[in-house]
Amino acid sequence: MPSRVFEEVVLPHLDAAFNYARWLTKSDADAEDVVQDAAVRALRFFSSLRNDDARAWLLTIVRNTWNARFSRVGSADEHMVLDDMKDDRPDGQLDAEALVIQRQTVERVQRAIETLPTDFREVIVLREIEGLSYKEIAAVAGIPIGTVMSRLARARERLLALLGPDLARGGIGDLS
Amino acid sequence: MICPDVERLIDAYSDDELDAAQATGVKAHVATCPTCHQRVAERAALRRLIRGVPYYAAPSRVRRAVVAIRRPARVTPRRLALAATVLLAVSVGTGAVVRTVRARQAATATLAQDVVASHVRALMGAHLFDVRSSDQHTVKPWFQGKLDFSPPVEDLAGLGFPLVGARVDAVGGRPVAALVYQRRQHTINVFIWPAADTVGALADARSFRGFQVRHWTRNEMALWAVSDLNDLELDQFVRALQP
Repeated sequence: MPSRVFEEVVLPHLDAAFNYARWLTKSDADAEDVVQDAAVRALRFFSSLRNDDARAWLLTIVRNTWNARFSRVGSADEHMVLDDMKDDRPDGQLDAEALVIQRQTVERVQRAIETLPTDFREVIVLREIEGLSYKEIAAVAGIPIGTVMSRLARARERLLALLGPDLARGGIGDLS
Repeated sequence: MICPDVERLIDAYSDDELDAAQATGVKAHVATCPTCHQRVAERAALRRLIRGVPYYAAPSRVRRAVVAIRRPARVTPRRLALAATVLLAVSVGTGAVVRTVRARQAATATLAQDVVASHVRALMGAHLFDVRSSDQHTVKPWFQGKLDFSPPVEDLAGLGFPLVGARVDAVGGRPVAALVYQRRQHTINVFIWPAADTVGALADARSFRGFQVRHWTRNEMALWAVSDLNDLELDQFVRALQP
């Protein structure tokens, strides 16, 4: 086993692997377990990696590892009503510093993504944060490209509905 | 195209996943339809919001654990004692070296984040070019008088990576040359400045926030390539730029 090469292939994508696992599991500890298990599997399957994109290959293994470990046990929380997504700042803070507003916006965006069903959440993370193409997402998530497209569309509709006020503050008008 | 067609394609359009004919159709419609224009703008704003959330980078203990898995620990107490003795003897001498290596790794990681930040700034701020040209004999002289060094400029159109332009950018507080290459819809920024030390053919490869980053030195220049292109094609590009 050419272990030096394994490191060269896997380590550059470890952040991507952890980020993906973290969004899938919503827990630092679980993400660490998933990534370490995935790395062990990756080493075992390493000889099967030919000329594929190493990042997509590693993310696929992360997903399979997560699926084997946690398959749908956490689905109870995924249909949770989004009551707590409302703007929860006390009125007195409405004209607080821009920095505070920005931090609260980031928190709301994070929670909005976390409350998406896993199927939606992962396509959003892979597309918007990791920048994968539809083809790569299809390979990682094991779904057809058409499904990638429809899940992204529905995920975005939900996020837009949840984050409308933040979008307005984010300067949606300056795009034209 | 009419609204229902465009509505169906709006996400793929925002993601640059349509073929040229469809993209042109959607673009033409969006230019004249305020409702669909709004949809495109919403998606761009949503993307900015999502990219503003913290990135979960792998903690260093995960990195160490992954490095350790390919060395299964079949360690007997005797070997352990021996190893400890050797380690003690060696560590006295190598402490300084290890610290230097660590410091360099940290500096490299910081630079990698800086070049990704410059790449993103250039793409989002629409300041991708100071000079827009695919001619290396136009681009190279353009840098004269703008920088205190002359960066190597090569067009790689023959390999499918056309040079499209250049600008002066800043990385880590110093002015650098930025060359812009194109591969399909993907932009590759190559940042160049005089190297502080020679690190070799390919000194660093990582992915950060969805971008691939490669670093090498050549003829006393430090080069950094950043793109959202996949591994294989970016490596091909980097090989083409190496001596």
